[in-house]
Amino acid sequence: MIELQGLTKCYGDTRVVDDISLTVEQGEFCVLIGPSGCGKSTTLKMINRLIAHSGGKVLVGGDDVTTLPPERLRRRIGYAIQSIGLFPHWRVADNIATVPRLLKWPASRIAERVDELLALFQLDTDGLHDKYPHQLSGGQAQRVGVARALAADPDVLLMDEPFGAVDPLTRDALQVELSRVHRQTGKTIVFVTHDMDEALRLASRVALLNGGQLVQYDRPAELLVAPANDFVRDFIGRADLGLKLLSRRRVEEYSRAAQRTRNNALASASITWQVDADDRPMALLGGRLGEPDTARTVVTPEWTATPDMSMKEALSRMVWFRVTALPVLDSEGRLLGEVTMSGVMGHRP
Amino acid sequence: MSIGALTHPPSSRRFLLIAHSALLIALVLGMEQLAPMFRALFPDQDPAMYQRESFLNLTLAHLALVLLSSLISVSVGVAAGLFVTRPAGREFEPLVSTLAAIGQTFPPAAVLAIVVPIAGFGFVPTLVALVLYGLLPVVQNTVAGLGTVPSQTLEAARGNGMSTWQILWHIELPLAMRVIIAGVRVSVIINIGTATIGSTVGATTLGTPIIAGLVGNNLPYVIQGAILVGLLAIVTDLAFERLERRFSFGEEGNAA
Ligand SMILES: Nc1ncnc2c1ncn2[C@@H]1O[C@H](COP(=O)(O)OP(=O)(O)O)[C@@H](O)[C@H]1O
Ligand SMILES: [Mg+2]
Repeated sequence: MIELQGLTKCYGDTRVVDDISLTVEQGEFCVLIGPSGCGKSTTLKMINRLIAHSGGKVLVGGDDVTTLPPERLRRRIGYAIQSIGLFPHWRVADNIATVPRLLKWPASRIAERVDELLALFQLDTDGLHDKYPHQLSGGQAQRVGVARALAADPDVLLMDEPFGAVDPLTRDALQVELSRVHRQTGKTIVFVTHDMDEALRLASRVALLNGGQLVQYDRPAELLVAPANDFVRDFIGRADLGLKLLSRRRVEEYSRAAQRTRNNALASASITWQVDADDRPMALLGGRLGEPDTARTVVTPEWTATPDMSMKEALSRMVWFRVTALPVLDSEGRLLGEVTMSGVMGHRP
Repeated sequence: MSIGALTHPPSSRRFLLIAHSALLIALVLGMEQLAPMFRALFPDQDPAMYQRESFLNLTLAHLALVLLSSLISVSVGVAAGLFVTRPAGREFEPLVSTLAAIGQTFPPAAVLAIVVPIAGFGFVPTLVALVLYGLLPVVQNTVAGLGTVPSQTLEAARGNGMSTWQILWHIELPLAMRVIIAGVRVSVIINIGTATIGSTVGATTLGTPIIAGLVGNNLPYVIQGAILVGLLAIVTDLAFERLERRFSFGEEGNAA
C-alpha cells in the first residue's frame, strides 16, 4: 500500500532521513519509532508531501506521490496530529467535515458521515456535535482529530504522535479505541511515536529509526526476541523486556485444560478447580504459594482471567493475589481453562 | 451554552454604546438648541454658538475623511501585512515595518507641511496625512494576528488538503481577525482625533470650529467641536469592541 524506496531528505549537508526503504502492506499498522530528532516526522510528512523529499521515491497505492497535485494527494490520505491541530473557530462537526467539504460532497452525505464518525468514536453524546474545540476534554479533542482524518474514508492514515499531549489514562483509552477502529476499518496506518509501550501495543510492524536510518523493521515480537543490534536492545529497554513480551500475548495463547471437581477432592494434578453446577469455578484446591496442596482458596472475580486479557495483566494478578494459577472464564463466567505460573515460564516467546 | 456569551457582549456595554450614539446624534442635529446654555455659561462671548456651518455638515465631512482614509489604510495595511507573512514576501518584513513606523513617528503637522505645497490645501493633504498615520497599527496587527495562528493548525490544514488560498481564507484570516480589527480600531480612533488638524490647511472637519475658536479666542466653539469629536471617538471605540468580540474563539472569548 505504501512503499518507501531509498527515501532521503537533506537539509544542507545533513541527511536527516537517510535512504529508508520499507513497505507497509494493506491493512498494516506500522509504527515509526526512534529517539527524538531521528527523522520520524520528516519521514511521515514525505508520504503526503508536507515535506518534499530530496531523493528516493514514495509510492501510495502504487502511484508515485509526485505525480499527483499535493492537495489531491492529501485529501486521499488521512492526517492526524496532536489535538491543537483542530481548527479552533470551527465546531466539532465542521472540523470532522473538513475533507468531505474540500471534496465537495453533497451536504446530506457529509452530515451522515459526520454522525457515523461521531458514533464510531463514541462522541455522539451531550451535544458534542456543535461544540468548539476549546470546550472538549483532551481525549475528546484527540478523537475528533482522528475522526477528521478518517472523514473522507481514506485508505491510508498518517498520525504524528497523536496521543502525545494527553494524560496516561486517556492515552490508554485512546490506544484501545484506535486498535478497535483499525480492526473495524482495515485502514493502513503509519503512526509516529517515541513511546515503546505505545508502539508494542498498537503496531503490527515497527520501524525503528536512528539518525535518519532504518535500524530494524519487524513484527513487534521479533523486535523483542531478535533485536538487530545493541541500539535496538537498548532502545526497547532491557529492564522489563519479559513483561513487554507478555503485554503482546493474550491469555488464550497460554490457556490449557483445567482439572475440575464438584466436591472438595483434589484431583491427581496439583491444581484443581471446584466448580458449581453451571461450571463456574468456586474455589481453587492447591496452587497457592507457600501453603499445603490441600489448601482451599475461594475464587473472587479479581483473580480470574479472560481469553483476550494480556498475559502481562494475568501474571500481575497471579503475583498480587499470590496464586500460581488463574481460572480462564468465558463471558458467562464458566471455566474455559487455566493459566499457570509455570505455563508462563514454559512458553517459548 | 457558553457560545451565547461569545456573540452577545455584556448588556452594560451595549447600553453604553446605545446611550453615547443617541447623545452624539442628538448633539449633531440639535446643538443649536443648547445656545441659551452656552450664552449663560459664557455671557461675554458673542456669538456663543458656532454657526458658519451646520454641525451635521461638519460631522459628515469629518466622517467622510476618516472613512476614506481608514479604507485606504486598512486595504494597504492588511495587504502589506499579508504580503510580508507569505513565503515570497517574508524578506520585506523589516522594510515594511520600518516604513509604517516612520509614517507614524512623523508629526501630522509635518506631513501637512510637506504635502500642502505638492497637493494644495484642503481635503487631499489631510487624507494623505491620515492614511500614513493609520497605516502602522493595521500593518503591525495584521502581522501579529497572522503570527498567532498556531503552526500545528496550519500544518493540519495543509495535511488535510487545503490549498494556500483556502488556508488563508478559512483558517488564517478568521483566526487573525480579532487582532487585525484591534489594529483597525486603533487606526480609526487615532484618525478621528487627527482629522481635526486638517482644518488648519482648510479641510472641513469637526476641527473647523475648534480652530476657529482657538484663533478667535472663542471657548464655546472649541467645546462644541471637541465634544462631538470626543463622542464620535467613544461611539466608534465601543462599536469596534463589539465587533472584536465576534472573532474571539476559545479561551479569551469565554472570559469576555
Ligand atoms: N526545516 C529544517 N531545517 C533543518 N533541519 C531540520 C528541519 N526540520 C527538521 N530538521 C532536523 O531534522 C531532524 C529530524 O527531525 P524530525 O523528523 O522532526 O524528528 P523526529 O524524529 O523527532 O520527528 C532533526 O534533527 C531536526 O533538527
Ligand atoms: Mg516528530
